[in-house]
Amino acid sequence: MVKFYSTNDTYSYPFPAVTLAYFLRYPNPYSTHVLSTDTIARNYDPETQRLTTIRLHLKRSKLPSAVGKLIPRSLLGASANGDTQTYILEKSVVDIKEGWMDTESQNLEWTGVLSVVERQMFKRPAPAVPDEVKIFQGMEGAARRHGFITFGGLGAGAKVEDSGETTEVTSSVTLHSHIGETWKKRRAASVESGGEEQPQKMGFLRSWGTSTLQKNIEKIGLTRTLRSQPNAREGMKVVLERMREGGLVGVLDGMRRDREAILAGRDLLKKTARPDNDE
Amino acid sequence: MSASLAPECNEVKERYDSCFLKWYSEKFLRGTSTSDECDPLFKQYEKCLSRALKDRGIDKMLKEAREDNRENDAEHMRSKR
Repeated sequence: MVKFYSTNDTYSYPFPAVTLAYFLRYPNPYSTHVLSTDTIARNYDPETQRLTTIRLHLKRSKLPSAVGKLIPRSLLGASANGDTQTYILEKSVVDIKEGWMDTESQNLEWTGVLSVVERQMFKRPAPAVPDEVKIFQGMEGAARRHGFITFGGLGAGAKVEDSGETTEVTSSVTLHSHIGETWKKRRAASVESGGEEQPQKMGFLRSWGTSTLQKNIEKIGLTRTLRSQPNAREGMKVVLERMREGGLVGVLDGMRRDREAILAGRDLLKKTARPDNDE
Repeated sequence: MSASLAPECNEVKERYDSCFLKWYSEKFLRGTSTSDECDPLFKQYEKCLSRALKDRGIDKMLKEAREDNRENDAEHMRSKR
């Protein structure tokens, strides 16, 4: 039993800018639930010009009340009001020569209850110009493709030129619940070994049946995913807009303001965002 | 810049992040990079962070997840052939 959701989108920003925005997407006004972001591994291969990054995000989330009804909260490590924290592991590979960025994020804990794997593939569209014409454009074309971010003296003043370039993105989310499977296995093992002992955790499963429970949890996960996707997209767009307006400095200034707002517990900029915006 | 999970690592993270952004936008995106110039700063950041991950008991969880991923990746590659 797996739920799958997929969508295509086009950003009206050049590919290099989109990859930079991906790394700089937290914090933004739509991500006040993201508490921290750390890079835990990074590798650059000069041969292929590929950059691989592994990051760890900590997100605050509210357990959907529907899940609270299905599974005891104590089992999920959530507080009485449903507040919980989730670690998200994110892996990304950028290939600047071939013009793609492949990203995958997944929750680290409670993967048995519900594993959510989110994948985003960003691509520089194939040039519309026929090959013969491209040859004449020569180096200029190549430089343009790589240099959408120009620098006004200082590196930090990088700006995105409005070149009319776009980036295609395919997003997909796979939701999979394994709840009950381990306990079932454990129970089978214990029956085989002659033990009649049954873990207490089985209590709430008995009334549901494992597959119904899994199906329901996946459904709840999908509902949340559908609700959080627009916010994730808006967040990226805010970062890209800041880059277009004020370059890297503009993005960093915006991030600082968002971070201060988060620390102060004020969601000033979030008024237009949906209240329940965890990814 | 985004905050670190461990407040004590914020300073060294900020230094690394700034270095990375400069390298990424000035060299990597232009296809002119020959090496990861920020690696020495990353090592410092990593040292601070790995201690914090261990203290919080996240290191084991991370290791398992990354091993799972490697297995999955290997599986994926095999099935493609």
